Amino acid sequence: MTTETKEPQRGEVARPPFYRDVRVIRVVGQVLAVLVVIGILYWLVNNLITNMNRLGISTSFDFLFGPTNTAIPFCDNCWVIPYQFRFDPRSPVWHMVIVGIKNTFLAAFFGVILATIVGLLIGISRLSDNWLIARLATVYVEFFRNIPPLVIIIFFGAAVFTNGPFPIFSESWEIKVPGTTNNLLIISNDKWGIPGFTQLSDLVVFFIVIAIGLIGAIWIWRRRTKNFDRTGQPHHRVLWSMGVLLVALVAAYFISGQPFEMSWPAISENRRRIDGGFIANWGWISVTVALGLYTASHIGEIIRGSILAVPHGQSEAANAVALSAGQRYRYVVLPQAMRIALPPTINQYLNLVKNTSLGTAVGYAEITALTKTSVGNGRPAFQSFIIVMGVYLVFSLTISLILNVVNRRMQLVAR
Amino acid sequence: MKISKLLAAVFALMLILAACSSDDDAGDTATTEEAGGDGGGDDGGSTGGKLAAVQEAGKIVCGVNDGLPGFGVVDADGTYAGFDVDFCRAVAAGILGDSEAVEYKPLTADVRFTALQSGDIDVLIRNTTWTATRDGQEGAQFLYTTFYDGQGMMVPASTGFTTLEDLADANICVLSGTTTELNLTSVFGARGIPFTGVVFEDNAQLQPAYEAGQCQGWTSDASQLAAFKSSIEGAGGDEQFIMAEIISKEPLGPVVSDGDTEWAQAVEWSVMATVQAWEFGLDSGNIGSYSGDNPNILNFIGSDNFDPGLGLPSDFAVQVVTQVGNYKEIFDAHIPAIGLSLEGSPNNIWTEGGLMYVPPYR
Repeated sequence: MTTETKEPQRGEVARPPFYRDVRVIRVVGQVLAVLVVIGILYWLVNNLITNMNRLGISTSFDFLFGPTNTAIPFCDNCWVIPYQFRFDPRSPVWHMVIVGIKNTFLAAFFGVILATIVGLLIGISRLSDNWLIARLATVYVEFFRNIPPLVIIIFFGAAVFTNGPFPIFSESWEIKVPGTTNNLLIISNDKWGIPGFTQLSDLVVFFIVIAIGLIGAIWIWRRRTKNFDRTGQPHHRVLWSMGVLLVALVAAYFISGQPFEMSWPAISENRRRIDGGFIANWGWISVTVALGLYTASHIGEIIRGSILAVPHGQSEAANAVALSAGQRYRYVVLPQAMRIALPPTINQYLNLVKNTSLGTAVGYAEITALTKTSVGNGRPAFQSFIIVMGVYLVFSLTISLILNVVNRRMQLVAR
Repeated sequence: MKISKLLAAVFALMLILAACSSDDDAGDTATTEEAGGDGGGDDGGSTGGKLAAVQEAGKIVCGVNDGLPGFGVVDADGTYAGFDVDFCRAVAAGILGDSEAVEYKPLTADVRFTALQSGDIDVLIRNTTWTATRDGQEGAQFLYTTFYDGQGMMVPASTGFTTLEDLADANICVLSGTTTELNLTSVFGARGIPFTGVVFEDNAQLQPAYEAGQCQGWTSDASQLAAFKSSIEGAGGDEQFIMAEIISKEPLGPVVSDGDTEWAQAVEWSVMATVQAWEFGLDSGNIGSYSGDNPNILNFIGSDNFDPGLGLPSDFAVQVVTQVGNYKEIFDAHIPAIGLSLEGSPNNIWTEGGLMYVPPYR
């Protein structure tokens, strides 16, 4: 057997020299790219720190533990980490950061819910056979998506509250629960009161029971699904698991010794303060509603496009098996449209979260507004905004993560 | 430190973090736009040489307020005017000999120090209060105080409120990123008066909210309140009342970046020349034709080429006063219009019981 032959043996691949080996090139290329990126980053950060040191500007994060020294609007003794700390002007700066995160979350969370509901309605309405509904939906979309969100927020705040129909607080409208003296709603041009809960004792037991209930609900959901797969009987899994959750909620309330009670909003004697209940300030309402309506216009278009993207044959097939219009949407069109709609909708949610930073225009104390205040009061700008960026990044990545999991599951179902 | 580098660093960091997640689009956050938008050149850090750099550039970049009546406003035809603006012009006249060689940069309260640190502006004259924290942590050097202000409280006259205690539980409008917010919290806190501060980013949003009764009180520097009182009442709004109580000291003056003494001196003496001229009885009308033989004044107007080595032209004081005016002229041009007078205020000259006192020019 000769070893000098250049002919490759059968089953053996001729190896090119390493500098032409695509596997080597790929690895080396990636390592190089990472090194270059790290190098640039190091250079930039090093530059920054050197320059800040040269100017005598602190680069440490110690300021987070110094006192905030300013009050936060609508946050007199509000909670920081649930029920462990209360915020007052002597609280450290990181408490202020937490309150800012909480306020950003409140605006983003309710904004996303509003945007989803309104967006779904608008998207479906645009495809309606009813001429008026379809046109109104079109006008809505064209109006909101062509105006910058900041303008909408400022306009909303001015039109509804500052120059709006509501009275100043000392003359606010009180809507009572019929037959009682309890306020269902207090309406004024700077804050609204709605019924809320007051915590009376520790909530640990309460949450443990809720968690058990949640596990139970998931278990029953799976069980009903399995049963449905096996026998074809209606699963009613939403009904079942919601029932379990409700039972758990009631059980938790009593087992943990009734840890909270209903609290009705009341106007203080000097007519300047709402005592009890949940207080919604106008900044929060403006940001949430304005951003919700703005994002809804985008989500509406996504929904419409996704419905149209479901092949027409699917609807025809549904018609052929005599499904009603409602059934056609519920069982054939929407499940497929949702799969298409989800990824772009995630983007809209992320935009909404980021747009809450515009809340400072109506005096809403979200994280960006509070940080600006804090920086104006001598806290280091660079470190403060690094924290703010981290907060938005965590918010966005969390939303992406959750919805990507949902997305993957939905796609698996369709294969 | 350049702001564009800082933003680029931050942007790079965001990209790296974003790259760790599969489906994130952190690339389109606002940071991107900022990083892309502000690539403009600046004259670098502030280790020194600012004076030479400014003389070479032929203009001074001055950070100002563009929405504060009396201190810094933009006219209908786009020109800046006001008390603070005049001191920008005085600095330009003193250093460059031309009061029009100023590029104005309107700044909000919360970006002003960043603009200064990054070298975006050469001098900040924007009703900025001198405090220890700002002096110590912002890399800023505060110069001669041009206006002694104090924080006051304005309420609608119809409420009949006369003391801070009347405002218990009230909403109080305040601007973000200002020392007023700190004073408000500490004074009300010390007296145990509960309140809700409603924080706005600029007066354009604050004023309508105040007028609509969303706040029962508006706290700010007394000079600003006087300006807004006259503008609200002038526009036919409700009558306003400014409480007599002043709750803080607010010395306002020019600010430069730390670490360039030469530049700081040049700016400070240009500003102080307006007060010195006032003390000498010189104004824009008569400084050019001074014919007396007071050696101090002759030094001041540079008639004998007196040069104390400040890096300023020997006739800088003449340029400042002829082109802009002395302190009293500047004050009279802008401040009485918003309802404040010089007599009896700390802004009067020291010979008449005020605090305007400058080191001798000799």
